[in-house]
Amino acid sequence: MSTFLQVIVNGLGQGAVFALLALGFVIIYKATETINFAHGSLVLIGGYVAFAVKPHLGWLVAALVGVLVAAIAGLLIERVLLAHSRNASPDSLAILTIGVDVIILTEVTRRLGTAAAPFLGDPYDNKAMQLLGLTVSRTYVVALVVAAILIGLFFLAFRYTSWGLEMRAQSENREASALMGIRSWRVTASAWAVGGALAGIAVLFLATNDIGGGSGLLSSHTVAFAAFPAAIIGGLTSPGGSVVGGLVVGLANAIAAQYVSLDFANVAVYLVMLVVLLARPAGLFGKVEQLRV
Amino acid sequence: MTATPAAASPPAATRNVKPLQIEDISVRFGGILALDSVSFTVAPGTIHALIGPNGAGKSTCFNAITRIYPLASGRILLGDNDLASVPGHRIASLGVGRAFQNLALVDSATVIDNVMLGRYSLTKGGFLSYAVRAPWTMKSERRHADRAAEICDFLGVGQHLHRPAGMLSYGDQKRVDIARALAVEPTILLLDEPAAGMNASETAEMSELIRDIRDELGISILLVEHDMGLVMGIADRVTVLDFGRRLADDVPAAVQKDPEVIRAYLGSDDDERQETP
Amino acid sequence: MSETVAAPITARPAGARKTLLLKTIGALALGVVVFLLPLYLSSQYLLVLMWVFTGAVGAMGLTMLIGQAGQLSLAHSFFVLVGGVSYAVYASPGDKDTIGFGLPTLLALVLAVVTTGLVGALFAPISGRLRGIYLGVASLSLVFLGFWLANQLPSIAGSASSGRYAPSLKLPGFDFGEQNPSLYVLNVEIGSAERSFWLFAALTALAYVAGRGALSGRVGRGWRAVRDNEAMATVMGVSVVRQKATAFAVSSAYAGLAGVMVVWWYSGLMKPDEAVDFGTYGTTVAISYLAMCVIGGLGSLGGSILGAAIVFGLPQLLPLLNGSTSAGSLSGTAFTPVVITNLIFGALIVLIIMFEPRGFAGLGQRIVRLVRR
Repeated sequence: MSTFLQVIVNGLGQGAVFALLALGFVIIYKATETINFAHGSLVLIGGYVAFAVKPHLGWLVAALVGVLVAAIAGLLIERVLLAHSRNASPDSLAILTIGVDVIILTEVTRRLGTAAAPFLGDPYDNKAMQLLGLTVSRTYVVALVVAAILIGLFFLAFRYTSWGLEMRAQSENREASALMGIRSWRVTASAWAVGGALAGIAVLFLATNDIGGGSGLLSSHTVAFAAFPAAIIGGLTSPGGSVVGGLVVGLANAIAAQYVSLDFANVAVYLVMLVVLLARPAGLFGKVEQLRV
Repeated sequence: MTATPAAASPPAATRNVKPLQIEDISVRFGGILALDSVSFTVAPGTIHALIGPNGAGKSTCFNAITRIYPLASGRILLGDNDLASVPGHRIASLGVGRAFQNLALVDSATVIDNVMLGRYSLTKGGFLSYAVRAPWTMKSERRHADRAAEICDFLGVGQHLHRPAGMLSYGDQKRVDIARALAVEPTILLLDEPAAGMNASETAEMSELIRDIRDELGISILLVEHDMGLVMGIADRVTVLDFGRRLADDVPAAVQKDPEVIRAYLGSDDDERQETP
Repeated sequence: MSETVAAPITARPAGARKTLLLKTIGALALGVVVFLLPLYLSSQYLLVLMWVFTGAVGAMGLTMLIGQAGQLSLAHSFFVLVGGVSYAVYASPGDKDTIGFGLPTLLALVLAVVTTGLVGALFAPISGRLRGIYLGVASLSLVFLGFWLANQLPSIAGSASSGRYAPSLKLPGFDFGEQNPSLYVLNVEIGSAERSFWLFAALTALAYVAGRGALSGRVGRGWRAVRDNEAMATVMGVSVVRQKATAFAVSSAYAGLAGVMVVWWYSGLMKPDEAVDFGTYGTTVAISYLAMCVIGGLGSLGGSILGAAIVFGLPQLLPLLNGSTSAGSLSGTAFTPVVITNLIFGALIVLIIMFEPRGFAGLGQRIVRLVRR
């Protein structure tokens, strides 16, 4: 029983990180109708910068710098690349982000070289703690708390600020909101910046022994892949759905790893996604597209 | 250069043109009843117009007949065949051809390639027979291409066969769209706003063309159109829809006098109201 | 159809006969050049070209699926794996560790391609229901599934550490893996490298010609209609579900052929990857195939050969030009051929989508139009 509870805590902790990634992913999708396949690279670039400046500035400042850089990277992708490919369809833009992903992944991996695996979770990584009589890794608990706060803040902003209103208006109807004078580039650009920042925060938990495993930052790009199924499970158009999707992915991963095998955990996530898609082709909370003539 | 249209197409008699009977069809979107028990009959070899204010359900009716929207209830009979009971991709082979309001052409493909799509149900052959270019497949392909080219000539776009459809003028694209619908060798042709976006002289040409199609091929034509001049000029019968219900169904002269119809169109400048959706 | 028919045959463009003649001459000339290449190139360069051919065959399948039928797939490397494994199972005799049927290699090749096509068709319940990006991510799951299955079933896929072996193609009287050749052309010994090169070139030509035939006919028209407007396609008589499944099956069959070529290229070694993101059948390769299609121009068969030359050719060719013996010098932060290639094709994808969405095929058309003007 206590093993099961431990698995659940681990799953929720991981799920919270996936939820951060998937949420950023969905925000970007809502604002630009573009799937950001470079999301893993935003993770990587934030993590790399944080790792590079950590020896000079200390963990906290380095973490902040990493988050900032990831946000700027997201902003640049949108402002420099996407904004200048106006004629491309959303699917083409998704492919463009694959190109960006290949570049960043290649370059960061090259820079990291074959040196020792970089880790980012100094304050919590590899530290067990007691929680309600259970022994759990501190990383999961911190991740869960941080994610809960951030996601809560996001939904407050989404609901009550003018930014949130513009954002919702834009995803409801791009043309109409353009007519109403909502400057669409501001919404789009800020969506990418927020998505990047969330990725930059997620990597602080991904590049750890507890979640990322032995190769630290190097494997975080691959681990972040699970944000795609998380967002798809939730339905690409639903921020709330992305949080649910993230938790589902985290739990499926943790349960499969404990009760089947570590190798199967990755597959389990995708199998869950396939089952969800078979039942609901637009995800759990996604809007079904009406076929247009 | 021009094969006469009459010779190019099978005479009307060989096409067994049957009435299209719309019987009590309803279409529902969520809680909204977009079509409410609408009935009318397109008699063989006639031009039948479907009119009504915006949102009256004209396009919904077209989409229901061509099985793009599912029916909540009702039957659509073409002769003895109930179109509602066959899979959507089978209705072309039952003799229904449709041209689209927004020119659903494959822009990057040539005109002849677009029109040949209309022959899809009339031809056979999967990946392998085309991959190895089986002689019988190639022979049938050539035969059907020649027929498609004839239809393009008939529609007046025969000189553009090998140009990408997307590069043609709007009017020519409309004609290619109709050519593709005719390539199905339909007994009933559905035209969705054939004169939309056209000026007066182009509209006149279009109504001439529609009449030619009916006369030369002997098929029935059901059209949705906002241009009242065109409708009243060529339609043999008019069905008026409003808020998803049938308001009137009669010959043009009678419909024009129908007080309910006049009220639906608010009596005045209805054409303008229609042209700015 | 005889020339005496009175009606004008308007369906064929004027000058079609001349174009056909030119095309035939061009194809023959290309054939002669390809035939002669092994006589002048050393086997390491032949291997580079063979790897390009392998990528081209796979990319042709994917470019038809994405560019013509409008379905995004990130699962191509999975189908390459299925093709390779099927061939190994059908063709190799099997032993105490591995299952094998020992069928004649030509039959095994055909069966492997058919099997992969069928596996692709099995994906139809999912591919038929999903669109665009949903389908892309859903298909990605196949790569993860394939990686896991291959590692779970070493008796079929070979073990991830040492793999399993499959024989090279043997036609009656002509063994493509001949170790002691007695055939000479222009005084050049035609060994297994030369023979395999011809085989790979022939298979690529075959894949191209078959694809061209299908795309210019009824099948291609159906796919393009489904891609541009599913409702319109249905009204025109195209069964959308069926054509989506067909496109997936055909694309997978092409990947299957590429998979067999991969096994041959590795001298018969079929070895599953040890990680899902790097290796021969992982996510990186799935994205490489996508990159080939984008670089060549989505939907263009000829373009996919060019895409393969860049994405698969460069990392093989650069070390040969550098003079360094292998890609083994991966120490530290060096700009290895793989790194350089990845940076190039990543940048190409970005630039192509931004400035010439039709890829090099579109660029070619532009140049042709400039020249004609």
